[in-house]
Amino acid sequence: MTQTRSGSKLVWDTVSYAVLILLAIVCVGPIVWTFLTSIKVEEDIVTRSMVYFPTRFTFENYVKLWSQSSYPTLVTNSLIVTSMTVLICLFTGTVASYSFSRFNFAGRTQLMLAYLIVRMFPAVLMIIPLFIVMRQVGLLDSTFGLAVAYTSFLLPLFVWMLKGFFDSAPKELESAARIDGSTRIGAMFRIVIPIARNGLVATCVFVAIAAWNEYLFALMLTTSQGSRTWPVGLQLMVGEFQLPWGMLAAGGMISILPVIILFAIVQRVMVAGITAGAVKG
Amino acid sequence: MSRVLYTAANPPARSAWEAINPMRMIGELSETRYWMYLLLLPSALLITAVVLYPTLYGIQLSFREMRLNRPALGTDWVLFKHYARMLADPIFWTALRNTAVWVTSSIALEFTVGLIAALALNRNLPGTKVLAVLILVPYFLPNVVAGHMWALMLDPRLGVINDLLVKTGLLTGYKAWFADPSTAMAAAIIVEAWHSFPFFTLLIMAGLKGIPTDLYKAADIDGAGPFAQLRLITLPMLKTIIAAAVILRVIGLVNSPDLLLILTNGGPGRATQVLSLYAFQTAYKDFNFGYAGALSVVMFILLMGFAWAYIRLSKVNQD
Amino acid sequence: MATLSIKGVRKSFGSVEVLKNIDIELEDGGFLVLLGPSGCGKSTLLSIIAGLEPGSGGDIVIGERNVNNVHPKDRNIAMVFQSYALYPTMAVRRNIGFGLEMRKVEAKERDAAVQRAAELLQIEHLLDRKPGQLSGGQRQRVAMGRAIVRDPDLFLFDEPLSNLDAKLRVEMRTEIKRLHDRLGTSVVYVTHDQIEAMTLGTKVAVMKGGVIQQLADPQTIYEKPANMFVAGFIGSPTMNFLAGTLEQMDGALALRHGGATLALPGLEQDAQAFIGKQVVAGIRPETFYPGQGQGTLSGTVDVVEPTGPDTMVILNVGGQLLTARLGSRGRPKLGDTMTLGVDTAAINLFDPESGNRI
Repeated sequence: MTQTRSGSKLVWDTVSYAVLILLAIVCVGPIVWTFLTSIKVEEDIVTRSMVYFPTRFTFENYVKLWSQSSYPTLVTNSLIVTSMTVLICLFTGTVASYSFSRFNFAGRTQLMLAYLIVRMFPAVLMIIPLFIVMRQVGLLDSTFGLAVAYTSFLLPLFVWMLKGFFDSAPKELESAARIDGSTRIGAMFRIVIPIARNGLVATCVFVAIAAWNEYLFALMLTTSQGSRTWPVGLQLMVGEFQLPWGMLAAGGMISILPVIILFAIVQRVMVAGITAGAVKG
Repeated sequence: MSRVLYTAANPPARSAWEAINPMRMIGELSETRYWMYLLLLPSALLITAVVLYPTLYGIQLSFREMRLNRPALGTDWVLFKHYARMLADPIFWTALRNTAVWVTSSIALEFTVGLIAALALNRNLPGTKVLAVLILVPYFLPNVVAGHMWALMLDPRLGVINDLLVKTGLLTGYKAWFADPSTAMAAAIIVEAWHSFPFFTLLIMAGLKGIPTDLYKAADIDGAGPFAQLRLITLPMLKTIIAAAVILRVIGLVNSPDLLLILTNGGPGRATQVLSLYAFQTAYKDFNFGYAGALSVVMFILLMGFAWAYIRLSKVNQD
Repeated sequence: MATLSIKGVRKSFGSVEVLKNIDIELEDGGFLVLLGPSGCGKSTLLSIIAGLEPGSGGDIVIGERNVNNVHPKDRNIAMVFQSYALYPTMAVRRNIGFGLEMRKVEAKERDAAVQRAAELLQIEHLLDRKPGQLSGGQRQRVAMGRAIVRDPDLFLFDEPLSNLDAKLRVEMRTEIKRLHDRLGTSVVYVTHDQIEAMTLGTKVAVMKGGVIQQLADPQTIYEKPANMFVAGFIGSPTMNFLAGTLEQMDGALALRHGGATLALPGLEQDAQAFIGKQVVAGIRPETFYPGQGQGTLSGTVDVVEPTGPDTMVILNVGGQLLTARLGSRGRPKLGDTMTLGVDTAAINLFDPESGNRI
């Protein structure tokens, strides 16, 4: 009996390892391949017989991308838009999330539901009016306009995700602080926000990644070098016939580097936040 | 014990500045009963401005003529003209069908792979923490990069996947996956599933942690095998979380045309044309905002209907 | 130090009334225990006293000051929470001193006060640790330190011992009593544990459904419970309720229950009006003793539960089960017929219709 039990455990352990390793290869493989492509010379990319491991390495693609294309500008624009999005979410979303987490008031459930439902609105349905309105108020093709547009789907996400982190700080802490001599706002900044600090960072990173990655709004709402972000710029590099694979790969690698680094740093807290936000929603 | 400290009856001396100190005034404000609403105000205003107003504007646009590239047509009310046109528009029906295929196949694949990964990770075998992180990476990658990575690997002339398939004998020659109407959708679904299955893994893992291990011990003693345990304990216990994940993914898949826009742009022909992409192209390429608005309104209504029905169904099943 | 007056305090959430017209007066230096099952409104009442929640009506007066519109921070109170609510990001020293820091007390004076409080509670060696590094009992002490360092008018305790294990709970209970005796500050203490209420309180308010069932000193509450709820809630094992008809027998009162009759000589209560009517006799388990007595009941032994010092015997008297707490000697056997005497002076009679003490 015990024989078969430990035997079946061994089988399942082996299957689990096999599945996980296979999945990990499938998940990371494309990234590795893209990286290899980015450091290959042109002849090794466009070739009759597949070159798996390049014999010659080159950073030519990166140099070319950085010096001969508008990529530096694109990345700068993306950085500006991303920072602005995070700041807007941080200033308006943190207090909203705190309010939802801490207080019971008339209309709370309905409002929270509203913050959830706006995520269901089709992007296209909002993009068209946003285009018209932004054109009227002169925010079309501006980094600030794009950042504001991003808050339409990222602010509700931010509020919900952060609420999960606030919820895990006991309510009694504020009561204690208020009796100890703090005002409500004092308790919020002195006690609760410092406790939820990791969650706040993770939530900001999540929003930052989403803003950094966004393509559709950027495509519609930016029209020139002045505010175009990197996903749009990278896509524009795709010519009709000859694809500049080396440069595309290099651009891709540069753009996902910050994402992967940030993800690696805060992944555990962020994963907890995404799950909590989605589960309660 | 120390005697008299500063108390309410014996406060520290306050300078004149204290009376008008803005920090103190905000502090006082925070003690009022309107404080929770004040905290909500900035975000509520912003969401009203960038979500509610545009949405309502978009809905009313769907009843109007608006073509940016043909201003001569004016912006008059046309009532249900766009909706009537939609019914007679073969592309709309193709896109609707493709959307159904795109959404259901992607979710089926994402859910299956996501569940398997979560079950394997939940065994907490040594060394799998690192694998968990690697498996989650695709979810955080930009659509643009994910699309290009796969376009590169599936390229008809230099794609590594073609090469591997030919070398292992599964394929006789390189295939143009995205150029062939019979494989374009399937290829796009695989890319989408690769990109998004970690979302299911994430949520299912969280759900698995919430299932008491005693249940499995009891099932072991009762003689239930691993598949019976999956069917009778794991899946029923995960019902709510799976329902939430499916709804969120359906919303995502229906609403965002990003990946298809990058990979195929709806082609070849209309083989991968979905509703969101059609609506976006109508707005972005044709500047026909009225018709694009009508298309997105229909999408929105379909989504709402789906979400409502799905929540109802999963609730009924729970009882 | 101050008195506390709670005058006609009400609270409702929407249409649900959780507190109905609460009146309590607490003398300076008194120890008021709010006792009741969960959901009785005791914690809500404490929150209203603290100012953390607004009441829907009534007045809270601390000392001479009506504090209805005073923020919690200005009420000069201190509170110990069930979860201790220690600030996890601050070391113990700063946790204890936080209230003084908020009141802009100078660092030197503050440190001295923290030191004194820490010595009183024997936690000097913990001052530089973070709350996460402390055991449950240590956290409890830090929470108390945070309360006493400010020398407030009023201490509020919200089930402070319920997160501790049984042994520590008894220890800390004694500690709280010692502190109260030493500092003499008025206390309001919320608990669902009757032992805490009995041992600590100078005044106990038993609450149920947002209403005070009885407000008295612990002894009175135990011996003369105002109604059957209080009688049943206080005491372990719980009071026996024996229903029967009250009769006049040989010049004294007696209770007829089924075939059995329990004479009630020496009954303090005036129950003449209930002769011939149904009443419920409340009999504490420890008022039984083996053998004959002024009043006597006999029945068959149903269960025997030795607890060490005592033996609980559950006796079937004419179909009703009564628990008797007897000495540890001479354990009866199951199924035996047993006769027990009752200290009839300690019996309380209740009106079965209203549940109130006659």
